[in-house]
Amino acid sequence: MPGYNRAELSAELTVVPSWEGKQSPRAQTEAARRAASDSGLAHESGPGSTILTGGRSEVLEAVRKVIEASLDAGAHIVQIKVEAEGDARRFERS
Amino acid sequence: MSSTEMRTTPLPRPAPAPVQRPGVVGETTTRIDGGPKVKGEFEYSSDLWADGMLWGATLRSPHPHATIWSIDISRALALPGVYAVLTHEDVPGRKVYGMEIPDQPVLAWERARYQGEAIALVAADHPETARRACDAIDVAYEVLEPLSDPERAMAADAPKLHLSGNVLRHITLRHGDQAATADVVVTGEYEVGSQDQAFLGPESGLAVPDGDGGVDLYIATQWLHVDRDQLAESLGLSPEQVRLTMAGVGGAFGGREDLSMQIHACMLALHTDRPVKIVYNREESFFGHVHRHPCRMHYEHGATRDGELVYVKARIVLDGGAYASSSTAVCSNAACFACGPYNVPSATVDCSVVYTNNPPCGAMRGFGAVQVAFGHESQMDKLAAALGIDPVELRIKNALAPGHRLPTGQVVREPAPVAELLERLRAMPLPPDASPGPRDLRELPGGVSNTTHGEDVRRGIGYGVGFKNVGFSEGFDDYATARVALSLDGDGDPLVSVHTAAAEVGQGVVTVQAQIARTELQVERVAVLTADTQVGSAGSSSASRQTYMTGGAVKMACEAVRERLLQRVADHAGLDPFDLSLAGGAVIDSRGETVATLAEALVSAPIEETVEFHHAETYPLDENGQGDAHLQLAFSAHRAVADVDTRLGLVRVVELATTQEVGKALNPQALDGQIDGGSAQGLGLALLEEIQIRDSQVLNASFTDYLLPTILDMPPVKKQVLEHPDPDAPYGLKGVGEPPNISTPPAVVAALRSACSRELARIPVRPEQLAGIDEPRRSRPPAPGSRGPAGARPTRS
Repeated sequence: MPGYNRAELSAELTVVPSWEGKQSPRAQTEAARRAASDSGLAHESGPGSTILTGGRSEVLEAVRKVIEASLDAGAHIVQIKVEAEGDARRFERS
Repeated sequence: MSSTEMRTTPLPRPAPAPVQRPGVVGETTTRIDGGPKVKGEFEYSSDLWADGMLWGATLRSPHPHATIWSIDISRALALPGVYAVLTHEDVPGRKVYGMEIPDQPVLAWERARYQGEAIALVAADHPETARRACDAIDVAYEVLEPLSDPERAMAADAPKLHLSGNVLRHITLRHGDQAATADVVVTGEYEVGSQDQAFLGPESGLAVPDGDGGVDLYIATQWLHVDRDQLAESLGLSPEQVRLTMAGVGGAFGGREDLSMQIHACMLALHTDRPVKIVYNREESFFGHVHRHPCRMHYEHGATRDGELVYVKARIVLDGGAYASSSTAVCSNAACFACGPYNVPSATVDCSVVYTNNPPCGAMRGFGAVQVAFGHESQMDKLAAALGIDPVELRIKNALAPGHRLPTGQVVREPAPVAELLERLRAMPLPPDASPGPRDLRELPGGVSNTTHGEDVRRGIGYGVGFKNVGFSEGFDDYATARVALSLDGDGDPLVSVHTAAAEVGQGVVTVQAQIARTELQVERVAVLTADTQVGSAGSSSASRQTYMTGGAVKMACEAVRERLLQRVADHAGLDPFDLSLAGGAVIDSRGETVATLAEALVSAPIEETVEFHHAETYPLDENGQGDAHLQLAFSAHRAVADVDTRLGLVRVVELATTQEVGKALNPQALDGQIDGGSAQGLGLALLEEIQIRDSQVLNASFTDYLLPTILDMPPVKKQVLEHPDPDAPYGLKGVGEPPNISTPPAVVAALRSACSRELARIPVRPEQLAGIDEPRRSRPPAPGSRGPAGARPTRS
């Protein structure tokens, strides 16, 4: 990602709802959104997608919680794209 | 269509870089773009043209807050002349963007969070066809109650506008004794309205597909590389497939630091395989860029009886609007500079920036320091009155100086001559008092409207001082790249070529690059190439940083070229390179004898060097707002003299005087321009300029209703610049673009207070405040065509 003062890591998660899940497709998506929202790192990034931005460890921890919440709700597929901040060299020193 | 076929459409290549014969550093040098701009010959981004190009247009939400149930593009697509209608489903890559936080949809999908949010795009063969196609897009909205009040947005039970909540950033700053008490305490509530950058050249650009999946974008922007990287993400391309070239910029002031039509134009161009141009009109421009944050402040100042500051407490709330843009950095600046350029032993600052459904806010000249300067300077005047001390004396007594600590704990370095700025300003002669007898109407508030002949007119004098950071802060690795080549032209004459990505936004960075190159390489003729992404990033034309950063990079690259040149000549002549130097287009030895002319030295090959210039490291603020977060501090002070018609609330600013620490004036004429321009923009904020927002709806998106100062409103500006060099900066310079914009508003308002003896806690100051007849603000605007709110109807008596 480019850097003005961007976060160290971003992870975009898209839940592909399952029609055979324990909960409805909408409930599966909502479960993921709720878990993402609870992290305090989340923004919407498209229909059914959220993006988590922040420090490496906090983002990865939040990603796990979102995935678990999605699976618990019956989703079978969660697509993830993780990107490390490339341009902001300040992270290279840490 | 193959790439070969595409390339039969010639790209709108910029003209070859004109050769300048600049003055050296420190000499007034006429800007190379000055003449064409004055004569109407300058090519702005809105003038771009390519054969076969289409026109892009944007459908925007009329509602500040709404659920989008459906978007039907079928009627629009069926219109003759329409080549594409795109929605969020057509965004090839990431559907959100943002300089700091990727929270803003390229095109909204389920929810519109502010009036003017982009919903769909059209490409058509004529701009009017594109506009009609936008009208033919059917969007089913469910209108929601907007969250307009930033205080309400922070409440626990407020609806969340984003998944992460409404508080975008909160800074807690604690410095010194938090239990400190004082002999004299003054408090105040202050408010600053939303100012628009009001650049005259609206957002515009031309995207040209390269026929191979990539795209070239010619664009008026402030930061080519961050635009490019955000474009690449949302277009699903690699950065190498997205090439940006600067087009003519008609003003920026922060409003072009974030994206507007860049992704949209590229999406349309890639979708249609045709060049696509987008030009906003004035109304759309108001919705197309971020604005200055509206701000509410509560201040408490405590001082000893003899006027020494003991503590400052501040609670600051910035309205970030619907999306983040650069709000988190603005919040940091507001917190860091909340106490003003004073030695404050103890500080307690809480600063928040929050999401609302109001127009998004972001960078604007002064970047958070403008709002708090109105707060801390109003407080200093109030404190002076409470203590019975002259306001300038009080400021001098508490003036920040080298060795003091900022409320962030950072030690202030040389030069920081706040007391000297104020003393010199106070010593500047005042304009003569109005002569007795009939007065020229043009010299009175209201002017030739003939509203007064001098009765009820009172004169006031006010002072303000401000400061802010130069360059990027809080640990950001701020750098600029420069490529400098020294060669012989076709006639065998030496020529320096300078290539950077620095955005010329009217500040004169093209000219100053040429001055630096001529100074360092002693070559008369310099060509500064058009800025683009074919060279490394120069960072943004913001934070008063380009002369420091890109100027520093050009200087460093020239030094590297010079070193290689001297080494080459030394090797050839069997001399020590340390005994050689450049002078008058030749390499000379320590006795001043010519060893080789530049023509001789360069005939074998040109010399080219590319360097990155990084400024000194800065650090993030910790949980108490402590840290060496800033690189360099820039200071200015203003004095305003104003005549106020206290009955009608009309104002004429008679004179502005200012002192500014500049380190080193590289181009005195350009410096004059920065000070004049910043002062005018500050006067506008103090008296006229505000985006009127009711229930998150913009009421005055035009230059008819958004009031800008004209030449008739702008008084002469007396200036004195101080040149105490910063030992760590190139040539000792300081950034100069923003400080005048910071210290002008409090000075103007202080003059008005002095004239009319009213508190004036909000800017821009309205006539009714000055005349003492201000009413409570209406919660809703009157319906169009109505006779206005019932309570406001005139009655016959």
